[in-house]
Amino acid sequence: MTPDGLRDLQACFQAHVLHGDDGMLAQVDAGARPSASARLAIYANAYRLRLLEALTTDFPALHTLVGDDVFDQIGRAYIDAYPSTHYSIRYFARNLSTFLAETAPFNATSVLAEMAALEWALTLAFDAADDPVLNEAVLAALPAEAWSGMRLRLHASVQRHDFGWNVAELWSAIDQQQPPEPPAAYPEQRAWLIWRRALQTYFRPVDATEAWALDYLHTGADFAALCDGLCAHVEPSQVGLLAASYLKGWIQAGLIAEIFC
Amino acid sequence: MHEPHSEQRPYLGYGLGLRPNHYLDILAQRPAVDWFEALTENYLVPGGKPLYFLERVREHYPVVLHGVSLSIGASEPLNLDYLHKVKSLANRIDAAWISDHLCWTGAHGINLHDLMPLPYTEEAIQHVAMRVMQAQDILGRQLLLENVSSYVTYRASQLSEWEFLSAVAEAADCLILLDINNIHVSAFNHGFDPQEYLNGIDPSRVRQFHLAGHQNHGDYIIDTHDEPVIDAVWELYAAALRRCGPVSTMIERDDNIPPLSDLVAELDQARRIGTRILAREDAA
Repeated sequence: MTPDGLRDLQACFQAHVLHGDDGMLAQVDAGARPSASARLAIYANAYRLRLLEALTTDFPALHTLVGDDVFDQIGRAYIDAYPSTHYSIRYFARNLSTFLAETAPFNATSVLAEMAALEWALTLAFDAADDPVLNEAVLAALPAEAWSGMRLRLHASVQRHDFGWNVAELWSAIDQQQPPEPPAAYPEQRAWLIWRRALQTYFRPVDATEAWALDYLHTGADFAALCDGLCAHVEPSQVGLLAASYLKGWIQAGLIAEIFC
Repeated sequence: MHEPHSEQRPYLGYGLGLRPNHYLDILAQRPAVDWFEALTENYLVPGGKPLYFLERVREHYPVVLHGVSLSIGASEPLNLDYLHKVKSLANRIDAAWISDHLCWTGAHGINLHDLMPLPYTEEAIQHVAMRVMQAQDILGRQLLLENVSSYVTYRASQLSEWEFLSAVAEAADCLILLDINNIHVSAFNHGFDPQEYLNGIDPSRVRQFHLAGHQNHGDYIIDTHDEPVIDAVWELYAAALRRCGPVSTMIERDDNIPPLSDLVAELDQARRIGTRILAREDAA
């Protein structure tokens, strides 16, 4: 067998596992029980079961929300649509929310895609980089003239999502093993913040102005630009107080990793 | 035929797989486990709980890294980014050694997240050995390759599995992680004699043993790691000890995971067998 032969053999086996192509039957011994097709089926079945298990681990609330049968349908369709391309199975589910948003019948509403987005954000926060957490004393020690030019770096775990459905409330109810209410659409989209402090992941709603401020900070804007931008959201006379209050809250929540001046 | 207590071969004793649902018990109870085997990919993450607990466990126990994604037998180039990350993780926790499987895990950029068997051919030996040498150059150390359970026999194969494993280890100058359960599973599935397998392995290349449970479906056995080790595997383990001498041994449990105390008790069985066999060998 040449290296090309090895390449062909592996491609053939993979096509059997992924799509059930039967070319592999000719490549394996067919003599002993179980049959060659039964032996090959062990690989094809194990492939799907392993990936389904990964999805079950990462999306417990989505699983509860849709039930076993629909979750299995979602999982098998996702496995076919987005085979894993990462060396770690931990990242297999990274496209599930996108898949649910683009695939009928799961996209009849956005609730399933949003629940998947929330649960995936929680997994990303769970093992995001161990950034430092800024201490309030560092800010207090900053000379007043440095404030306008300072830039804030958010903790690596911080993520912002906008949801049109009450997926965060549903997640909490499911997590506490309470019977979840039926999914409900918000009157308008709500902003949510997901992050980790020490080893604990958190999420909370944020109002539209704070969400804008966090998103703007994330672009690398300095504090003066943030204050200027806030003028479009609140009375200019309130901007200083509001910005200071946001900053204090963010630092206390562990959202800020570093300040650069 | 072994050289007991050889200084050539580091010996860690009796270990367990490090599993997240045991983290707190390990740190609180400090069980009588000599070392832990961490699944490499679980810790190739930026931060958070996995790395936190790995480092806490490492403060009290030696740790080895056991990967599933090296895909040493694949046709595509080795994933150098992956290898550098493994090296960095190994340095971070001062891993006693690094192992992965003699298999391929995907083609065309897809990862099947399974340990797919290789055809046992001279060409495959050369192909895999070149890649092992490349991986060892990057990692800066010898790699341990594990024999996998398999369910099919390729028509292209010209050698036995043990001849293939031995030839790869010899050509690449790498080490072997001999999975005793996988020998039992593959012997059952393919109808060979497991003792013949053991006899075909060079003991000096064996750095570690795996023990595990499986599911017997009558016609075939599937390597599931979700049950205790069965008697036939304990017997094969004893035979492997007689052939290889003291080899660091651990029990893998990946599903239906019992309380830590149950696994420590199961590991004690390995310890008892090891003590009995090795004392007899020393006396001889």
